Amino acid sequence: MVRFKNRYVLCEVVSEDPRCRQCIEDRALGLAVRDAIARVHGDYGLACCSISFTVKYLNAYTGTVLLRCRKDSYRLLCSALPFVRSLESRAQRYPCFLNTLHVGGTVRTCQKFLIQYNRTQLLRLLQNCTNEEEKQCVQKSLLSCSLTEEQSQSGDEEEDD
Amino acid sequence: AAAFERRVLRRAAEHHYLRVRLELPDGGARPNAAQFKQLVVTALRELHGEVGAALPVDVLIYEEKTLSAILRVISSGFVKLWSALTLLGFYQNRRCAFRVLQTSPFLLALSGNSRELVL
Repeated sequence: MVRFKNRYVLCEVVSEDPRCRQCIEDRALGLAVRDAIARVHGDYGLACCSISFTVKYLNAYTGTVLLRCRKDSYRLLCSALPFVRSLESRAQRYPCFLNTLHVGGTVRTCQKFLIQYNRTQLLRLLQNCTNEEEKQCVQKSLLSCSLTEEQSQSGDEEEDD
Repeated sequence: AAAFERRVLRRAAEHHYLRVRLELPDGGARPNAAQFKQLVVTALRELHGEVGAALPVDVLIYEEKTLSAILRVISSGFVKLWSALTLLGFYQNRRCAFRVLQTSPFLLALSGNSRELVL
């Protein structure tokens, strides 16, 4: 009856440096976020947010990150995310920033939002395509994800080519 | 006869005032007013980070001889300030402790202390 409620924060890692993609790892990202919380909210904030803190899902190709924390401290976490300015891994530091997309109560709602968001992002990519073969690839992915309800339940997660 | 009416305002005060005393058991140099405020802000920064260090805290009265002071803090930051003062242990690598003697939402209430009443 009384259970621990979590909040799942969906963010996207945005960086100008293309090499940053390969250094997006769950441990490096977790350390960067915890370090930002310690700077902004001190020892108390760090301890509060670390109770059930983990990086639940990470997609290095699209830069999508799903963080989990307790419901009581998700505001501390969300307010510290703009202070994450660089990711460090293997003695290399790359500047980046985190865009918060969605805060949900379960992984399933975050996944539903992510599918919707990826569909709109594909449409936007189609508009910004420069050459013909990129356009063909994006059009193919768009067609494959815009099928009817029964068929689209299998293979909902699409990747950028 | 006029009807009796009682009005209770909870959490209506804007600031909270604390009378504190800093205990430095070793007889070394005493901090002046600026160093005292720096110490309070450092305590807030350690426990509550940059957000805590940015709380509007004022040192209204400071007596260097007795190391006691009257602090004013915005009411929403009262718990943060008191917890930060409690957990501060060191001033320039010397052991120290904050003792909170009186607190009140009204400054006038800090002028009398019934604990030190001589009957």
